[in-house]
Amino acid sequence: MEPIILLEDVSFSYEGASGRALDGVRLSITPGEFVGVIGPAGAGKTTLAHALSGVTPHVRRGDFYGAARVAGLDTVSSSVAELSKTVGCVFQDIESQFVTTMVEDEILFALENFSVPRDEIPSRVDRALNDLDIADLRLRSISTLSGGQKQKVALAAALALAPSVLVLDEATGELDPASSVQVFELLTQLQRERGATIIVIEQKIMLLCAYAERLLVMDQGRVVIDGSVRRALEQPDRLLALGVNCPRVTTLAARLREKGLYHGAPPVSLDEAEAMVREALA
Amino acid sequence: MILLENVSYAIESRELISGASLRIGQGEFAALAGENGAGKSTLLKLIMGLIKPTRGDILIQGASTRDRKVSALARTVGYLFQNPDRQLFGATIRQELSFGLDFLGVSKSDAESRVEETLGWLKLDPDRAPLSLSRGERQRVALASLFVRRPSLLLLDEPTTGLDYRECMQMMNTVARLNREDGVTVLMITHDMEIALDFAPRMLTLSGGRIIADGSTRELMRDEAMLKRASLIPAQMVALARRLGLAPGEADDADSLAEWVASSVKGGAQRAGHT
Repeated sequence: MEPIILLEDVSFSYEGASGRALDGVRLSITPGEFVGVIGPAGAGKTTLAHALSGVTPHVRRGDFYGAARVAGLDTVSSSVAELSKTVGCVFQDIESQFVTTMVEDEILFALENFSVPRDEIPSRVDRALNDLDIADLRLRSISTLSGGQKQKVALAAALALAPSVLVLDEATGELDPASSVQVFELLTQLQRERGATIIVIEQKIMLLCAYAERLLVMDQGRVVIDGSVRRALEQPDRLLALGVNCPRVTTLAARLREKGLYHGAPPVSLDEAEAMVREALA
Repeated sequence: MILLENVSYAIESRELISGASLRIGQGEFAALAGENGAGKSTLLKLIMGLIKPTRGDILIQGASTRDRKVSALARTVGYLFQNPDRQLFGATIRQELSFGLDFLGVSKSDAESRVEETLGWLKLDPDRAPLSLSRGERQRVALASLFVRRPSLLLLDEPTTGLDYRECMQMMNTVARLNREDGVTVLMITHDMEIALDFAPRMLTLSGGRIIADGSTRELMRDEAMLKRASLIPAQMVALARRLGLAPGEADDADSLAEWVASSVKGGAQRAGHT
C-alpha cells in the first residue's frame, strides 16, 4: 500500500541552534496505522510532529533537508493551511492553540473553517462534546477550565474534524487516567471506522503498549527503534538506557523470565499479564 | 501542619470545593488525585492562601490563611505550578535561586551557602538561562527555587506531567529526599497511580469538589468503586495482585509478585513431591 506518510532522510536544525533536532529520519507509515512515539526529552519527537503538520519549516523556521510527504503533499512546498485539511494536530502547549474563548465556539471554529456542510455541524459538535464527556462545559469560557478540561476541548476540536491523519503530541498529559483511556479508545474508533492514521507522541508507555501497533523510539533526532510494540518490549534494558520505562507487566515478565518461569512474549495488558502468571503457576 | 475544617469555595453560584475536612501532619507525603475538574488545583490554591474559603477555615501551622498574606505564607509553603514557566523569571539558574532570599531576611552568607548546596543536588550549570532548559530541568529548577527558601510544606501540582521517564524519576527522587531527609511535608497532585503508589504512603481522592477517600495509598488502590468514581485506574501491579487474590500489601510491585510466583511454584512442586 502507498504510504500516507513518507519521510526520506529528513534533518532539521532550528534557526540559531547548533545541533540537529531531526537527524536523517526515514519513516514510512501506511494508511490506518496506529503508531506510538516515545523517547527522552530533546529526542526530536515534537519536531517530528511539527514536520508532519508543516509547522516545521513554515512556522518554526530553520534548515530543512530531505523530503517529507504527507497524504501526497510535500510538507515544504505545501502551506500549513493545505496540510491541515488532512492532518489534525493537538500539541502539548494547548493554550497556544485556542482561537476562541468559549468551548462550543472552539469546536465550531474548526468545522466552519474547514467548510463542513452547515447542516452537519450541530451533530458533529454534539458528538465531539459527548465523546469527551464535556457536554456540560459547552458554554463555559475556556479560561475558567482546569488544565485537563482544556486538553479535552482541544482534543474534541481535533476529533470533530475526523482528519485522515491525526498527530497528538503529549496531548493527554493533564488528563485523569480514565479520560486518557477514553481518548485512546476514541482514537482506535477513528482508526477502525474511518481508516485514519494515528500518530501519538506520549510518555504514558502503558497506554501506548495497550493501543499502538507500532512503536517508534526516538533519541537525539533519530528513530532508533521502529517495530511492533512487543518487539520493542523485548529489549527492556535498551529502552531503559534510552530513558524509556517499560510497563510494569513487562517488568514482571522479565523477572519471571530471569527465574525461568516464563518464556513467552512480553505481555502488554493486564489480561495478558494475568494469563502469564496463571500459566507460570499451572 | 495543614488543617481544613469544613472548607467550601464557590465562584458565583458554582461550588468548586464542598465541605472539605482534612488533617496532614508534619513530614507526611500525600498524593491528591481525582477526575479533571474535581477541584484539586483549587484545593491547593486554597491551602496556599491564593484564594480564601467561602466557608470553613484552613490552618497552616496553626494560623488561618484568612489572616495571613500570601507573602507571609510563602515563607513556609512552596507551591510548584503545573507549568514551571509560570514561576521562572531569572536570567540564570543562580539568579533564580537567589531571588527572594533577601526579602526573607536571609543573610548574604547564608543565602550563598543555601544556593551552593541546592546547586549541588540540582547538578545543572548555574550560569545557564532557566528558559533554555528542557521541561524536566525547568521543573526541577522551579522546585529548587522553592526549596532554597526552606519551606516546611511543598504543594506540587502535577510535578511530572510532560516529563520523560528519566526526568520524572529525578524529580520524584528529589521530592522524596526533601521529604525524607529534611522532613518537608508534601501534598502532590498526580494522575499517575504508579507514582502515587511508589512515593506517597497516603492518598486523598477528590471528586466533584468533595474528598471522597483519604487513607493508605495501597489500600485505596484496591477500592475499585471509589477509584472509578474519581476516574482513576489502579496501579498495574496492585490490579494484578487483586485479580490473583492476594491480600493488600502482599505483593504490590513486579519484584515481590515475581517472588510470590516463584515461591508458589516451589511450594506446589514440593507438595507434588510429597504426594
